[in-house]
Amino acid sequence: MNISRRTVLIGTTTLSGLLAMGLGGSPAFAMDGPKTLRLPLARPAGNLDPQRYVGIFAIQDMIFDPLVQYTRGGKIEPGLAESWTISEDHKVYTFKLRPNVVFTDGEPWNAEAMKWNLDRWMPKADYNWLQVSANLDKIEVIDPMTVAIHFKQVTPTALIEFSYVRPVRFLSPRAVEADGSYKSPIGTGAWKVDSDTPEGTDLVPNDKYWGAKPTLDKVSLVVIPDARSRMSALLAGDIDAAGGAFIAAVSPQDATTLKSGGITIATDTGTDTMILGFNPRRELFKDIKVREAFNLLIDREAICTALMKGYATPTMNLYPDVIAYSGKRFDVPKRDVERAKKLLDEAGWVGEGTRSKDGKPLNVELVISEDAVANSRALGEVLQAEFSEAGIGLTLRNVDHAARHGDIPQFKYDISLFITNGAPYDPYNTLGLMILSSVEPGTDGKLWEDPAVDPLIMRALSAPEAERPEAFQAVATWLHDNWAIAPLYHAQRIWAHGDRVKTFVVPATEYEMPIKGISL
Amino acid sequence: MKAIKDLYKAVGLPICLLIGFFIFIAVFGKYLSPYDPNAQNLLKASQTFGAEHWFGTDNLGRDTLSRLIAGARTTLFGVTLVLLMAGTVGMLIGTISGYFGGWIDEILMRIIDFGLSVPSLVVALAIVGVFGPDFWNMIIALAIAWVPIYARLTRGVVAAAVNQPYIESLRVLGASRTRIIVKHLTPAALGSVLIYASADAGVLALNIANLSFLGLGVQPPQAEWGQMLVAALPYLEEAPRLVILPGLSLTVMVIGFNLLGEAIALAKNPRPMSKRRLFQRRREFLKEIAA
Repeated sequence: MNISRRTVLIGTTTLSGLLAMGLGGSPAFAMDGPKTLRLPLARPAGNLDPQRYVGIFAIQDMIFDPLVQYTRGGKIEPGLAESWTISEDHKVYTFKLRPNVVFTDGEPWNAEAMKWNLDRWMPKADYNWLQVSANLDKIEVIDPMTVAIHFKQVTPTALIEFSYVRPVRFLSPRAVEADGSYKSPIGTGAWKVDSDTPEGTDLVPNDKYWGAKPTLDKVSLVVIPDARSRMSALLAGDIDAAGGAFIAAVSPQDATTLKSGGITIATDTGTDTMILGFNPRRELFKDIKVREAFNLLIDREAICTALMKGYATPTMNLYPDVIAYSGKRFDVPKRDVERAKKLLDEAGWVGEGTRSKDGKPLNVELVISEDAVANSRALGEVLQAEFSEAGIGLTLRNVDHAARHGDIPQFKYDISLFITNGAPYDPYNTLGLMILSSVEPGTDGKLWEDPAVDPLIMRALSAPEAERPEAFQAVATWLHDNWAIAPLYHAQRIWAHGDRVKTFVVPATEYEMPIKGISL
Repeated sequence: MKAIKDLYKAVGLPICLLIGFFIFIAVFGKYLSPYDPNAQNLLKASQTFGAEHWFGTDNLGRDTLSRLIAGARTTLFGVTLVLLMAGTVGMLIGTISGYFGGWIDEILMRIIDFGLSVPSLVVALAIVGVFGPDFWNMIIALAIAWVPIYARLTRGVVAAAVNQPYIESLRVLGASRTRIIVKHLTPAALGSVLIYASADAGVLALNIANLSFLGLGVQPPQAEWGQMLVAALPYLEEAPRLVILPGLSLTVMVIGFNLLGEAIALAKNPRPMSKRRLFQRRREFLKEIAA
């Protein structure tokens, strides 16, 4: 009697609890001035030290400037370096620094400040995923406004790498403690931190900024961890826009919902690729026929239409065409169950129901992680159904972000979903870190590895500009011809904004706030 | 037969129908469901109520009605398994503890007390966390978490019965320990355990849904209400029925089991009579005497 009444109560509260899961306390929205842009963050800004991998990229990007700037399509433009020259042998990069630039604490930007910053991370093990750090020979201060960086070997990625957000951006040499550890976010960027709390971060324009002054007088970033709460805040006009994979992602489903609520959806061609990766160390996937069969069982078109609501393009390429040297487009094969079955038969995997070979059933485990790769659960269930039609038993193992970062580099999976690095890192990073077998797997693991493709990748990574298209094409063709990976789609980059925003431009990379080109 | 009739009388038709309905669709679900609950058709995803799919389709184009039916099967199967396992082990521990008493009782009951002091869901979460998310791990985890309740319950009944004159007489007559335990003490405890279990089934159904909601229980593609809920959450605005239908099914089942448990408990253990009823009875009695 008492017990049962209580259970009814538990039942109803649990149900409502389940629905409300993840909803935090109500966030404090800014009192909006006419020129205040209010954007959501999925998590607090965190430690903004440009040499640590903690803070939110897009906020670090607002505060700290790069030597050179990455713009749409991979074009490099001057930043804190006004101009630069590259030696004949591609081993010495000489940067002419921009004059009359000061950090927001008054510290001048010069060769000394640059060297002080670079010495903080070049060349150190934690940063050796960057060629500029791994290949560094010495940093030479030629005069107060000229710095030459010498590399031990050809480093064609240097300029692109110097445009990254971290660890390559520049902190004021005075913004550290006596022992050299980071103290406060002082940069030369267009914005400076006004207030920074776990509930949100406010930034105001840096009046000493060297470039074009922002047209806004404040950017107020408010932490709203739950995607559904962000949507209602946007619909209610409490925030002006939302989006960005690493800022406050808007899923294709959210976009569909928001669109029907009168919110404007701005999209741009995605710079990354969703890939089903085979564990290269599993015997099963050393057979090219098996890899081809898996590729042919995927209905890429239906996945893009139904699961991604049209916000994705089916693909067989490693990179979308907005990435430099991504090469020619491969045809996306139609789903072909019969051919896949035949291939599996030929590979020796036979039998009714779940196939088997030498008494071993064809069971594979797909590692998914909803918080590392959004939408991976639904995608996993689709693949499960599509593979089962050809007698492949697919089990899903759902892990959290941390477990994924442990299991994937240790090859504790049969197949998994991967996303390429995207702009500005590609075309170099995904090839160099996730396919080149001589490099230890990083947190993103390996898409594939094969000694046969290594020389091709090495050539592409170090090719002089004129030879790059051909060199990268050779790698792409090899991956495609060997069915080494199963690319699925290029997802579009989605931002959503309300009526207060007059013009909106989707930023060039996922690591930037949509501030350039926005007007209220 | 009489016991069943009494039970039916105590529980009443509506509750019997409700529970019977769930058991019916769980048993015959395979023949009732219009489609394969796991068959996807992405081109027919997210359809609303209609002639082809009565309750529409989910985000992967699976028939919602078929999945609801399959979900009832999963839940009831799970609940039955857990109750059988937890009940059997719990009764065994409880009977041993109650019959022998002394230090055996002390040790067993302190262990059981420890088990009772930790919330069952936390125990289940820990076990699933160690052994990995899987349907059978979840069942075993929940069974382990539920054992202390039944052990404690049985021990109470048995400890009270052991000192009753009829057990004494059995002993004097030379009945073996096993005979006393199996033929006399266990049936006495079984009644209480069954009553408790009928109310507990609802809580268990919720826990199965909870664990599956968190991705720790039933794994895809097997249909389960909690899992249907979590998969449907992103579509809350666009297709609220995907959240409401499994939620409603779960709620109705839980309420059904609770009403069942409450009714049985009331029949077995009537509430003390109210003053009004007492006076009424007295008047009737006096009338009878007068007549």
